[in-house]
Amino acid sequence: MVVNRLIATLPRALQRRFLGQCDSIDLLFGTTLCGAGQPFRFAYFPLAGFISVVLTLGQHPPLELGLIGNEGMLGATLALGVDGAPTSAVVQGTGAALRIPAGLLRRELRDSPALQRILGRYLYISVTQLSRSAACMQFHEVAPRLARWLLMTHDRAHVDRFHLTHDLLADMLGVRRSGVTIAAGALKDRNLISYTRGEITVLNRKGLEAASCECYRATIIDYDRLIS
Amino acid sequence: MALAQSPRPNHLLAALPEAERLRWRPQLEAVDMPLGRVIYEPGNRLSHVYFPTTSIVSLLYVLENGASAEIAVVGNEGIVGVALFMGGESTPSRGVVQSAGQGYRLKADLMLEEFNRAGPVLHLLLRYTQALITQMAQTAVCNRHHSLDQQLCRWLLLSLDRLSGTELVMTQELIANMLGVRREGVTEAAGQLHRAGLIQYRRGHISVIDRAGLEKRTCECYSVVKREYDRLLPATMAV
Repeated sequence: MVVNRLIATLPRALQRRFLGQCDSIDLLFGTTLCGAGQPFRFAYFPLAGFISVVLTLGQHPPLELGLIGNEGMLGATLALGVDGAPTSAVVQGTGAALRIPAGLLRRELRDSPALQRILGRYLYISVTQLSRSAACMQFHEVAPRLARWLLMTHDRAHVDRFHLTHDLLADMLGVRRSGVTIAAGALKDRNLISYTRGEITVLNRKGLEAASCECYRATIIDYDRLIS
Repeated sequence: MALAQSPRPNHLLAALPEAERLRWRPQLEAVDMPLGRVIYEPGNRLSHVYFPTTSIVSLLYVLENGASAEIAVVGNEGIVGVALFMGGESTPSRGVVQSAGQGYRLKADLMLEEFNRAGPVLHLLLRYTQALITQMAQTAVCNRHHSLDQQLCRWLLLSLDRLSGTELVMTQELIANMLGVRREGVTEAAGQLHRAGLIQYRRGHISVIDRAGLEKRTCECYSVVKREYDRLLPATMAV
């Protein structure tokens, strides 16, 4: 069974009470769950599917700063006592999530050190991922960044094949479409992935890990150290 | 050194309620923060948190090959070491003094004790953390999408907001490191700002002579960050 890994760490009684306050919803590709600067109405804990954390500047397409799947949550900054979302969030992989109204989450946080602890740690991981993305975007080549991105998506999609156009990939990575085409071609030539008409299949995960920049592994290490 | 009388106090310290102020005073240690001093390295256990007063600390994410990108600046509006509040124990970034001056530091375990009292201090520090996250996200996308010229304006304005005068002691080398670009790029961008009559540059000193002009020339990222800081932090922080 696919579960949300943050909720799974909570003590059983708290977990039961917490789940009692959530309802489950479908995550539909392309749905905007929150806008930068707008107050969170809900926090989301994906079960399947994944959410892309993005920020948009002027006329530029949204740039991706992080991915949230069943290892994480959207709305961890609610633990800081501020309503506004620092970034926007859009569903990138169709699936399902548990959601809890922001007010209820805040009340639970007041009463539960265990919840504070896990949300704090996840926030630390998210902020670290945000900082890492900044450096990664600035210094790493497109192909290793694409490999990282595919691995992060693969981890959250729980299937080997997912729908991704080169246009979307280019926007997310903040590079030109031709850059993505060349990088994807290089990964394909090495038999790490295959793609046809927007369907990307991961063929060799170990190989992709070797082709990725250090940033993929660094985030996994953070998560294992602080959450698992 | 008396906190309240300090000419440019740290705004978070200045906003402490009386009871906290009295309790903290004997624990706060005044420290010199010279240019280039590394406050902490990534992965290090946090021994202290820092409250800059006249200095500015740059937070950098460092890659395995040593290349680094600035993700935020912290001056007298803030605190260096927010990872502590999230239970991170170590810090993910490098903190390095980018503008020399003074500050205070507090032992990490004392800071955590105060934090766990869950009083007004906690709320203030968490709000600051949110503002800092906004700055990090905005800096990340700005570095990707905006011209070096605009980034340099943003960087100068954010620095200026955290200083009392209009002059920054700063080499182009250092700016290049902060912005993660080559020195020649900074020289060119600074030259353009100079020719436009916005700044003067000589031997490691940058004087801003037309602040309004810099604000006009920079990208939206400066005002997004400034608005969020103004909204989230105490009025004393309005810089």
